[in-house]
Amino acid sequence: MGEVFALSNIRIRFIRGEEVKYISHLDLMKSFDRAIRRAGIPVIYSQGFNPHPNMVFGLPLSVGVTSQAEYADFEVDDSILPDEFMKRINNSFPPGLKVIDAKERHGKANIMASIGAASYDILIAAADGICADIVADKIKGFLEEDRIYVEKESKKGKREIDIRPMIIRLEIKKQRDDEERLRAVDCSSKYTNSDRWLKEYIESLYRDDVLPPGFKRESIMHLKALLSAGSMNNLKPELLVEALAGYIGQELKVVKIHRTGLFIEEGGKLLEPLDGNVL
Amino acid sequence: MEYKINDEILQSVEKPARYIGNELNSVHKDLKNIKNRFAFCFPDTYEIGMSHLGMKILYHLLNEREDTYCERVFAPWTDMESKMRENNITLFALETHDPIKYFDFVGFTLQYEMSYTNILNMLDLAGIPLYSSERTKGDPFVCAGGPCAYNPEPLADFFDFFVLGEGEEVINEIIDVYNAWKEDDASREDFLNRIVSIQGVYVPSFYNVKYNEDGTIAGIHPQRKEYPEKIRKRIIKDVDRVFFPDSVIVPFTDIVHNRIMLELFRGCIRGCRFCQAGFVYRPVREKSPETLLQQAENLTCNTGYDEISLASLSTSDYTGLMPFTEKLIDTMEEKKVNLSLPSLRIDSFSLDLMEKAQKVRKSGLTFAPEAGTQRLRDVINKGVTEKDLLDSVTLAFNGGWSGVKLYFMLGLPTENLDDVAGIADLGNKVVNAYMSVPKEKRGKGLNVTISTSFFVPKPFTPFQWEAQDTMESYREKQKYLKSCIKSRHITYNWHDPELSFLEAIFARGDRRLGKLLETAWKKGCKFDSWGEHFRFQSWMEAMEECGVDPYFYANRKREYDEVLPWDHIDIGVSKKFFIRECEKAYRGEVTPNCRVSCSGCGAASFGGGICVE
Repeated sequence: MGEVFALSNIRIRFIRGEEVKYISHLDLMKSFDRAIRRAGIPVIYSQGFNPHPNMVFGLPLSVGVTSQAEYADFEVDDSILPDEFMKRINNSFPPGLKVIDAKERHGKANIMASIGAASYDILIAAADGICADIVADKIKGFLEEDRIYVEKESKKGKREIDIRPMIIRLEIKKQRDDEERLRAVDCSSKYTNSDRWLKEYIESLYRDDVLPPGFKRESIMHLKALLSAGSMNNLKPELLVEALAGYIGQELKVVKIHRTGLFIEEGGKLLEPLDGNVL
Repeated sequence: MEYKINDEILQSVEKPARYIGNELNSVHKDLKNIKNRFAFCFPDTYEIGMSHLGMKILYHLLNEREDTYCERVFAPWTDMESKMRENNITLFALETHDPIKYFDFVGFTLQYEMSYTNILNMLDLAGIPLYSSERTKGDPFVCAGGPCAYNPEPLADFFDFFVLGEGEEVINEIIDVYNAWKEDDASREDFLNRIVSIQGVYVPSFYNVKYNEDGTIAGIHPQRKEYPEKIRKRIIKDVDRVFFPDSVIVPFTDIVHNRIMLELFRGCIRGCRFCQAGFVYRPVREKSPETLLQQAENLTCNTGYDEISLASLSTSDYTGLMPFTEKLIDTMEEKKVNLSLPSLRIDSFSLDLMEKAQKVRKSGLTFAPEAGTQRLRDVINKGVTEKDLLDSVTLAFNGGWSGVKLYFMLGLPTENLDDVAGIADLGNKVVNAYMSVPKEKRGKGLNVTISTSFFVPKPFTPFQWEAQDTMESYREKQKYLKSCIKSRHITYNWHDPELSFLEAIFARGDRRLGKLLETAWKKGCKFDSWGEHFRFQSWMEAMEECGVDPYFYANRKREYDEVLPWDHIDIGVSKKFFIRECEKAYRGEVTPNCRVSCSGCGAASFGGGICVE
C-alpha cells in the first residue's frame, strides 16, 4: 500500500574539483549516496540485504585526476524534477563536488554502457631544453606511426597493445594562444573552461606558502587529447604520456590530468551525454 | 620558510586522502577572529583516529567556541613522514595545513600504551621540543587525556599537563584561564600554576617522585602545598545535558568505524576484575532514550550515514534497551539506516533484535567468556556461566547462525593448565551444541574460532598488583591449548606475547620509563601496534641501554602497601575496594553488578549516575 509513483531517470553532469580529486571511485559513489540522503532526494533503492541507490556513473577517474565533465544517471521517483535535484544535491555536497547540469533521460542505455570517448587536458613537465615546438613536432611524427605498442598491465598480467587507434586527437597547446584565449574567456566559469582551471592550478603550484614542485613553471606544457574510452577500448591518459615519452626519448612528468569531456558515439558522431539526441 | 605539502608529495604517497582534510562537516574558521588554536592529535593513522568518538565530541565542542579553532592531526604514515622530513615540512593540522608548532595547545588522546612512540615521533616531526622542561615561550602547551592518562607517569617528562577523566567541562575551563593568561603575557610556569587547582588537571613537573633502594617508589609529593596531593578525575554528572555534536565529520575514505556512534551510557555496571574501563569510567550514567533518539535524528540528517552504532561498554546493560531500540529501528528503517549492535549479550531478545536491525547474513557472533573454566571466570568476576554461553549459542544455531567467535585471555591470575584445557573444552561444547540442532534449522558450515590474547594487568583494577605471566609460560600454555583442540570445526588464533609484554611494562610504568621511550623511538620504534613496524629487538636493546629491567615492571607481584606510580591519581574508586576485590578473586567469590547491589567502591562520592538513582 505504498505510495504510487512513477519512475524517472535523471542524468547529471558534475565537477570533480581539486578538493576531492584524491578520493577513489568507490568513495565518490559513497559521497553521492550520503549527499542524496542528506538532501532527502527520492532516489530509488535496490532491493536486497544492503539497499543502495540506483545510480550509474560514466567512467571512473583515476585518483588525483580532476574533471569538469563527469556524468551519472539516477533513478528517482518522478516527484522530483532535474532542476530541483541539482539544487538540493548541491546544497548538501562538500566543497569540490558540484552538479552543473541535469536533465531527464528517456534513452535505454545508461551512461556507463554508452561512453565511447573522453577528452583530457594534460599538463606535463619536460626536461630543460625541450620546448613546446619540439614536442609539437614529435607529436606530429608520433601520430604518423601506424602502430604504437605499449605495455599494459591488467589483472591477467602484462601485455602489448596498440594504442594508435585509440588516439583520436592529440595536440599541444601553444603558450601564446593560451593567453589570448584566456583573455577572451576571462569572465567564463572555471567549470566550463579548462584553460582557466589549469591556469589557476599552475598558479596554486607556485604559491608562496606551498613547497615548490620539482619542475620549473616554464617547463610545463599543455596537451589536449581525445581518446577512446569506455568498456570496449579505453586509453588512460597516463599511458598515452608514457608512450609519447618513449617515442620522444625523454622523460615527461605528468603534472596534472584534467578531464574535459565524455562522449557518446552515435551514428559516427561523438555527442555530449546531455545532448538531446542521446537522452 | 615553512612550506605546506604540495600535490607532488600527495601524488607520491599511499592514501593521499588521509592528508587533505575538507571533509563534510569539518570546521573552517577565519583566523582573524581566533584567540587560540588547538591541535587535537591522535597518535595513529587517520583511519583509526577518525573512528574515535571522544575526538569527535571534543573537536566540535571546542569549535563551538568563537575564540578557539580546533584542528585534527594524525600520525602520518611512514611514506608521508619521509617526504615531510626530506622537504623540511613540519607536522601540520588537517584543516589549514598550518604547522602545529605555532598553535597554543597540542593535545594528544592516549588510547593505548603502544601509541606512545608515535607521540614522540609526532612532537619531533612538529619541531616541538620533546621534553616539557625544554619548551619555552612561543612553544605550545602539550597536554593529554584519555584512558592511559590515568597512569600518565611514563609520559610525565613529555607533557606540560594531563587532564584526567571526561573532558567536556574541564577543557573549557582551561581555555578560559589560558585566554586571561595570554593577555597578561606571563611565564609558562605561571599558566600551569593557574590551572593546577582545576579539578582533573595534573601538572607532572609540579610533583617529585622519590625511590627506594629496591627500585620501588618511596613517595610522590607535590612541590608546594598549594598543589593538590591527589588529582581527582572529572566526570560529567548529567550525560543527558552534556554537549554532543549534531554533526560529525564524514570522511571521504573508508575508516575503521565509518558510521554514526550513539553513546548510550558511560561506565559499566559489571566490574570484571581485569577490565580497567569498568572501573575508571564509574559511575554508570545513562542517556535518556529521548536524548538518544534526538541525537540519532540530527546525526543522520547531517551526515547521510547509512549505519548507526550503539556505543557503550555493554549494550545489553542499558535500561530499557528493548523499547529504545524498537523506536530507533522504526525511525531508522524509514531512512534506510542500519543499526549495528556491538557488545550485546546474546539471548533471545538480542537475537531477535539483531535480526530486525541488521539485515546482514547470519555469519558470525562473538562471545567473550575470557576464561575456560567456571572457577577462573569467578576469579575474574566475569558474570557468565557455561550454561549462559551454551544457551546463547544454541539459540543462535537454531536461528540459522553458523559462525561463533570465542575470545579468551591466557595468563589470568591463578590460571592453571585445567583452565587452559577448559578453553578447548568449551569450544567442543559449542560444536556439540551445533550438532544437536536439527539440520534444517541450523546454518551450513559450522565455524568456531577461538582466539586468545595475553592478559595485561592494568592500573586501577583489582589485578593491579599482579605479575604478568612470563612470555615463556604464555607460549607453553598456548601450545598446550593448541594440542587440546582436536575438532576440525575449531580454528585457533593467538597473539604473540611481545606486544602485551611491552604493554604491561608501560601500563604500570613510572617516570623512569620516559628515557626508555625516547631511546626506543630513536632506534626507530614507531607504529608499534602495527605488526609490520613492531621491532621487539630494538625495544630490548633500548631497555638494556637505559638500565630498565622489564621484569620489574611486567612480571613482579606487588605488595598492597607498595606505593604505586599512580597512587596520587584519584579515580573515585578506592584502593580499599580494589584490595577487597583482589582478595575475593583469590577466593573465587563473585561481586554482584552495580544494579543488583552497591559494593561500596567509592564512585558514589561523585554524586551522579547509578550511585544516586
